[in-house]
Amino acid sequence: MRFLTLAALGALAFGGQAYAQSEATLDLVGPISEYKLFVAEQVDQLVADTTAFVEAVKAGDVERAKALFAPTRINYEEIEPIAELFSDLDVAIDSRADDYEKAEQDPEFPGFHRIEYGLWEKNSTEGLDPVADKLLADVTDLQGRIEGLTFPPEVVVGGAAVLMEEVAATKISGEEDRYSHTDLWDFRGNFDGSRKIVELVRPLVDDEAFLATVDKNFATVDEILEKYRDGAGYVTYDNLTEEDRVVLAGAVNTLAEDLSTLRGKLGLD
Amino acid sequence: MATPKPLSRRTTALALAGAGLLAAAGLGAFWFAARTNPPEVVEGEIAVTVTDTVCEPAELTVPAGRTTFRIHNASDRPLEWEILDGVMVVAERENIAPGLNSTLAERLKPGVYDITCGLLSNPRGKLTVLATAESEAAKAAPELRYFIGPLSEYRVYLSRRASELVAATATLSEKIAAGDLEGARAAWAAARQPWRQMAPVSARIGDLANSMDPLADYLAEREEDPAFTGFHRIEYGLWGQNSTEGLAPVAEKLAADAAALKDRLKTLDVAPADLAGNAADLASRVADQATGSQAPYSHLDLAEFSADLDGISKSALLVDPLVREADPAASEALVQALDAARATLDGFKVEGAMPAYDQVDEAGRQRLSEAFAAVAAAAAAYNPAIGLE
Repeated sequence: MRFLTLAALGALAFGGQAYAQSEATLDLVGPISEYKLFVAEQVDQLVADTTAFVEAVKAGDVERAKALFAPTRINYEEIEPIAELFSDLDVAIDSRADDYEKAEQDPEFPGFHRIEYGLWEKNSTEGLDPVADKLLADVTDLQGRIEGLTFPPEVVVGGAAVLMEEVAATKISGEEDRYSHTDLWDFRGNFDGSRKIVELVRPLVDDEAFLATVDKNFATVDEILEKYRDGAGYVTYDNLTEEDRVVLAGAVNTLAEDLSTLRGKLGLD
Repeated sequence: MATPKPLSRRTTALALAGAGLLAAAGLGAFWFAARTNPPEVVEGEIAVTVTDTVCEPAELTVPAGRTTFRIHNASDRPLEWEILDGVMVVAERENIAPGLNSTLAERLKPGVYDITCGLLSNPRGKLTVLATAESEAAKAAPELRYFIGPLSEYRVYLSRRASELVAATATLSEKIAAGDLEGARAAWAAARQPWRQMAPVSARIGDLANSMDPLADYLAEREEDPAFTGFHRIEYGLWGQNSTEGLAPVAEKLAADAAALKDRLKTLDVAPADLAGNAADLASRVADQATGSQAPYSHLDLAEFSADLDGISKSALLVDPLVREADPAASEALVQALDAARATLDGFKVEGAMPAYDQVDEAGRQRLSEAFAAVAAAAAAYNPAIGLE
């Protein structure tokens, strides 16, 4: 504590002006409120899409359920910084088999990925009815909780980096949608979610060089994702060439690293 | 309270922001190294190792303020490490690959938190954040950043109410154009709800309020006054004259004003002190209004007061998390006063419906007035509790 205080005073002596702008201001009220309205729209869409997805699963329509899986998830991926705040729901909706002692065989394994496992690995909807019902109940619960949540500004601004870090750290290996290989859809959701946050706070970021670098890397990711576009969505992840995977990983890593300074730039560390 | 103290508070905030920046710079420097090197203890950091079954140590104690955790994943699966307050994630680091480290820096408030330790079935650890002299002092004067969330939430609330008002006034206009008296009455009552819910800021939009909501009592020629427009002009027609005649242009203007209001609210600046301050002011106004009538032709006053109470609660309670920390008694007093006012309103119901206000006797009106006065008094204690006055 004492060290930090002295260090800060030293920093002030060098240039109070420079630090004054890194104190969070009420200018963030506009972007944060816009972000909540955006998230609310996304979660409304998630509930609508999940309703259709669950219907397909319960009707035993494997092909239709498979077709709806990725487009349904994309809205969840886009709002992950907020959705993940509710740990119980995040586990229920989006946990991986890795989180359970008996992995896929664990009776506790729930949510999107449990259904994904059934649809792709077993090519069946057998036994998925209760999982599907629970998923719809959980996303509906999420919608209500988001409505009641006062969005913490540091979570929103930090979310831009969190979304990219997630992709950078392990998703790039294709671990998330390991049965369906629809990872590129999730990337698109994560990526759009991150870019949305940057767009909203852009007017408050007083660092043109930083924004130019971020924009360049966003453009790189965008370009690669679009190479693999297939209709309204994307081809499976195994189609990604090694070269593109390396370029994508590089851009995503740099974005994660650069965007991790965004909170600090807006005085929210 | 006028001059020297706010200055020193600001300096402290600057100093802390500067400290945060330095810490962040340091953090960035070893970020890459952290991802590849084996665990090492870095000064000023709290090290946690997560094995296949537990966190080591399983119990951590840190002072309030910014703490950097260094998490090492010694298990063989990707790791998510979270600090939880109940089910809410306070901070987290996701996807830490097996064998790797990651750091998480966060400002923490005093309290006892859970920490996750790998598999969902593994026992959780405990993080105790101890109050410091600084964190205690900060409660009585939270930094500006702690008002960003509440003010953003209030802007969302106003934006939603404005959208409802635009839709409801459009419906009202349609019903009137169709000459549907009953439909128009229902639409009028529906449109009043969002309008009154945003009453805490209506004083801030004076010109629109003057064309949307003037009462005949305040106009020279009363109901015959050309400035008698908006909601109450329509109410006068629908209830006072049992007719939709001549109301179409008034309803169209009201709908146009509602659209203008929605635009205006997008940029309306609400200050931290306004959240509880506007709520207290409105509660005080309602306490005065309750003895007279705000809806003199329809007598739907109780529905109006109910919507006022919604708006008062929303606005003031946005700063309640801060007040609760600084002055729990003040928080409790407002929550109780709001509950009591709600109970008083509900107490008027006959078979689940609010009666017309002309059916409420003098004593009932007095009770209601006192309930709102109590809300006003309790809300007025909020700003002083958090250094805003």
